[in-house]
Amino acid sequence: MKSYDVISTRANRIDTPDKATGKAVFVDDITLPGMLYGALLQSPHAHAKILSIDTTEAEKLPGVKAVITAKEAGQVKYGVSPARYDETVFAVDKVRYVGDEIAAVAATSLDVALDAVSRIKVTYEELPAVFTVEDAVKDGAPQLHDEFKGNLCAEVHQEFGNVAEGLENSDIVITTEMKSKRQDGAFIEMQGCIAEYDNRGVLTLTSSTQVPHYVQRTVAMVLGMDVGKVRVKKPYVGAGFGIKAAANPMELACCMLAKKTKKPVKMNFTREQVFMYGRARHRFHHTITTGAKKDGTLMALKHECWLDGGAYTSFGIATVYYTGSLLGGPYKLANMSYDGYRVYNNKPACGAQRGHGAVIARACFEQQLDMIAEKIGMDPLELRIKNMMETGDTTCNDLNMRSFGMAECIEAVRNGSDWDKKKGHMPPGKGIGMACGFFVSGAGYPIYRSDTFHGTVIVKLTEDGGTALVYTASAEIGQGSDTAFAMIAAEALGIPLENVRLASGDTDMGVDLGAYSSRQTLMTGHATKEAAENVRRQVLEVLSEQLNVPVEKMDIRNGFIEFDGDTPDFSALRTRYIKEHRGWTDNPDSDKLTFKEASRIAFLERGSIVGTGKYKPHSLGGKFKGAAVGTSPAYGCSAQVAEVTVDMDTGQITIDRITDAHDCGKAINMTSVEGQMEGSISMGIGEAMHEEVIFDNQGRVLNHDLAEYKIVTSMDMPRVKTIVVESDEPNGPFGAKEVGEGAIMPTIPAILNAVYDAAGVRVYELPLTPERVFHAIQEYRERTRASA
Amino acid sequence: MKKLIQMTINDRAYEVAVEPNKTLADLIRYDLGLTGTKKGCDTGDCGACTVILNGDPVNSCLVLAVQADNAVIETIEGLSTDEGLHPLQQAFVEKGAIQCGFCTPGMILSAKNLLDKNPAPTEAEIREGISGNLCRCTGYQKIFEAIESTRS
Amino acid sequence: MLLPKFEFHEPESIEKALVLKKQFNSGARFLAGGTDLLVYLKKKIVSTDHVISLQRIEGLGEIRENESDLFIGACTTMAAISRHPAVQKRFCALKSGADNMGTHLIRNRATIGGNVCNASPAGDTLPALLVYDAAALVISPDGKRDIPLRDFFKGPGKTDLKNDEILTGFRLPNPPDHSGAHYIQLGKRKSAEINVVNAASFLTIDPGAGNILSVRIALGSVAPTPIRAPEAEAALMGNTAGDDAFNAAAEIARSRDCSPIDDFRGSAAYRRAMVGVLTKRTLAAAFDQARA
Repeated sequence: MKSYDVISTRANRIDTPDKATGKAVFVDDITLPGMLYGALLQSPHAHAKILSIDTTEAEKLPGVKAVITAKEAGQVKYGVSPARYDETVFAVDKVRYVGDEIAAVAATSLDVALDAVSRIKVTYEELPAVFTVEDAVKDGAPQLHDEFKGNLCAEVHQEFGNVAEGLENSDIVITTEMKSKRQDGAFIEMQGCIAEYDNRGVLTLTSSTQVPHYVQRTVAMVLGMDVGKVRVKKPYVGAGFGIKAAANPMELACCMLAKKTKKPVKMNFTREQVFMYGRARHRFHHTITTGAKKDGTLMALKHECWLDGGAYTSFGIATVYYTGSLLGGPYKLANMSYDGYRVYNNKPACGAQRGHGAVIARACFEQQLDMIAEKIGMDPLELRIKNMMETGDTTCNDLNMRSFGMAECIEAVRNGSDWDKKKGHMPPGKGIGMACGFFVSGAGYPIYRSDTFHGTVIVKLTEDGGTALVYTASAEIGQGSDTAFAMIAAEALGIPLENVRLASGDTDMGVDLGAYSSRQTLMTGHATKEAAENVRRQVLEVLSEQLNVPVEKMDIRNGFIEFDGDTPDFSALRTRYIKEHRGWTDNPDSDKLTFKEASRIAFLERGSIVGTGKYKPHSLGGKFKGAAVGTSPAYGCSAQVAEVTVDMDTGQITIDRITDAHDCGKAINMTSVEGQMEGSISMGIGEAMHEEVIFDNQGRVLNHDLAEYKIVTSMDMPRVKTIVVESDEPNGPFGAKEVGEGAIMPTIPAILNAVYDAAGVRVYELPLTPERVFHAIQEYRERTRASA
Repeated sequence: MKKLIQMTINDRAYEVAVEPNKTLADLIRYDLGLTGTKKGCDTGDCGACTVILNGDPVNSCLVLAVQADNAVIETIEGLSTDEGLHPLQQAFVEKGAIQCGFCTPGMILSAKNLLDKNPAPTEAEIREGISGNLCRCTGYQKIFEAIESTRS
Repeated sequence: MLLPKFEFHEPESIEKALVLKKQFNSGARFLAGGTDLLVYLKKKIVSTDHVISLQRIEGLGEIRENESDLFIGACTTMAAISRHPAVQKRFCALKSGADNMGTHLIRNRATIGGNVCNASPAGDTLPALLVYDAAALVISPDGKRDIPLRDFFKGPGKTDLKNDEILTGFRLPNPPDHSGAHYIQLGKRKSAEINVVNAASFLTIDPGAGNILSVRIALGSVAPTPIRAPEAEAALMGNTAGDDAFNAAAEIARSRDCSPIDDFRGSAAYRRAMVGVLTKRTLAAAFDQARA
């Protein structure tokens, strides 16, 4: 096994000292000279025709510098996937949800901007609205988009193998449903941005985004600008979880206002606007039928899902595909069918959120696995072991697991939770449950069809001093990617982490598709490694010329040059280096030639040493329609055990402990890997237990603050035991793959299965509020009383 | 009408004229440039704007600046010294208790106040002591570990 | 989010505050901790031209132990209530209510007077104040009056306070020997929670015979205001304390004393069911204390 000096450690993250001291700059911390403040006018109606817009009074207000509507903004359609551009920056003719953007104002203060917005007069003709999947697909239902009849945004029909035959050959067939609620990202930093337009016609947008690259393309397309004159950069970002993974209307409006006023313009969402914009996890309604043999062998899976999509497509097409494609694994399953439907209605659009599309399907399926295990009298953990995929396996829908430590994960949580002692032996009201899951390490294809590299990286050595500068357009949004890439660069170059500096999140630095689909460690990591290795080779080539030692006989480790065999006489190089640094007190006197010296010599011989790296996935399997969604160079997998206490009188659940094992390939930074696991679990617990965006009957969000939208607090979070299972992923840099999303997959079903173990009730709707659990317990008691 | 107020922030005296409808959070961030204090909701639900006001951690978005006349205030910028990071800040860095970092200043101030008043808190007291500071990234576990590592 | 424009007043005495309030009348609002008012102003749920801060009025933030009762000033914060030895010793259900209100950050600002004047059916300190038989102490230019807390609440957000009156504090009679009280709030998560239901019970028992000498039960979020449970209380009076009596009382409270509605936090049916559970549990815990 190769030993590493930098990766696989618990190195302190490079960004956290600034974050701990308040120095780290987020977008709202920036104030620019002459900066204006923007505000949006948003629809108060869920569905209405716009008959007229009168901005006269707003424009008259002192301090107002620009007012724009669809008239000025144009009607260029955009969205996430070019296959379904269905949004305009400002509503044209009609609004489709409460919050649909109608106009924007820039003024000398936020106060004036908001005042101006309130003076814009819009005449609406209200239209009948629909708020549920059921209502939206009814005959005669109000139509949101003329092009999509029946409000059907997208549908998917897939079959792999022969499901009917698989079910026929099953001894046990179980059908259940699972209904979830709309989740919100609930990142603590609300979206915000600042746009500037300079005198040479260059637009710079600084935004709280996960995807500078996609935002750059959308801004250029919507504003009709040369993409070379649009620069998008992100400062530190207070997380995103998928919601910030596309250009939002505020960013586009802000760019338009800056272009119009030629002044910097700042805009922020309020927390209420974060909820109104939405774009987080869909509400899913699954019906799944699973067939198995008496010995536990899984035979077939039939899956139908309806997605409550909201007013626009956003990520929805990808979501509806992911919902189907990421279900069958991590188990061997020859027959699987999927019918997915995403439906429009007059609520904010849903999009991508951690565990994109796959979380609730997994909750439904993994609950069924426990039901099957119970029917055949098998330990649910054993049932999973019996069916699990192994390294090298391919799912029936062509997802190839080049590394897959699922067995190790299951064994790790079995031991870590003391499963064998606890399962079946918990006192009344207490229960234990488990589940598994897996997730992609990066989408195999960009969101727009392209041959583009998914990531490019530049590594440049400082001309003196032996510091490596890493330039990447990737997005550090809290997950630790900057640190991971600095560590990868340091490892690949052979220098200490402290000698690497990194700048990221700027489209001027290259192409990087950004932080979504758990792609950066693998994809940007590859590009970083390649760029650093390129630089390393250039330095060694110069040394080879100078010392007359073949490149293969040299190595760089910990900032020193290592020679295979005798160390050649490098005194001439050292003398040359020291001569240039006369009077310096820290000139090298080590037995070994330092990288600092070597890199200076390389510069003197060749000029600036710059290496580039790039990555795009190899051709990935699957020729069927929709095969592009779900294929990935690698898959992470995880197993989790939840232990709960259920108050049988009130229905309140306390999660006592979670044990989680995740196969992330090679852990680049062990602490960061654990952090992703723990964070995923907390988001999974929130979704399982109390998160739910609630609307009134007019399509307005009722709980648009963090008091009534309930994410996990420090009092709710159980102790988590994280076990990092390392495998060697052939498609990953140093063997690394994802951890950011796979770890959320088993959380909800593990809790559902533990609740069943504790209280004897199966719950088929989320979240597990005390009330819902109470009613389930009441029904269960009535049922058992009746049968007794 | 603006009101002239005096306050001490991080041992520095300030005298500023403020509109009555300006919150302490906005004064600190936008007028005094101490942007380490964050705003995540503006309605007292997230704790990102936590400052220590006369010895107690509070949501500065729910305090009027004029109410802080004559107050002694500590913000995240006041914690580190010439010698470097405060031990709690160092612990947050070393234990991996920081991801996006947006809740971090408020979280650290709550934790510091807890430890100032109760140098050896139990796990339950730690959970309670940061219960008003929401973190969506970390699942709190490494935050607990960081605080535990610095208790006496 | 911006606060609307208003004039700010910071009187240093009750008398000055009364003058200001009379002057601006309904155009003015009192500011105590601000944890509700500032949110309502930002969200435009309320508006006002004048904000009168009570923060600098001497004595309003005090807790005073008297021979037969405890005075808690209206501007006392939840945190101060929670850490006060007399509250901890004799009014633990109130401590529990104060501890459950909002978050640790809110509790450093939020005041008991604010919690009471906000008159939310879900208010965290209200059931405890009701079962401790607190009186609200009110002053106006015409003089002082005491309002039994049970008569104080008139509807969601509505109280018996008149436009020119100021709530100065509360008087809580010291519980007699062999008393106990307990408060439970039931919500979806364990911090920063707005109750789905809450309840408090207070009991005094005859230590010899074990019968109930006095009892008060208060319920929150199951009526337009926090309420007492008179029928359940009547059923308990004079009876022997214990599970049988508590179960019976819980059933009466559930079926006869409350009138919950459906809202987005919970259904009427669940709330009603929980009234039974919480009544039973708070009575049992109060009884444990009373006989300890």
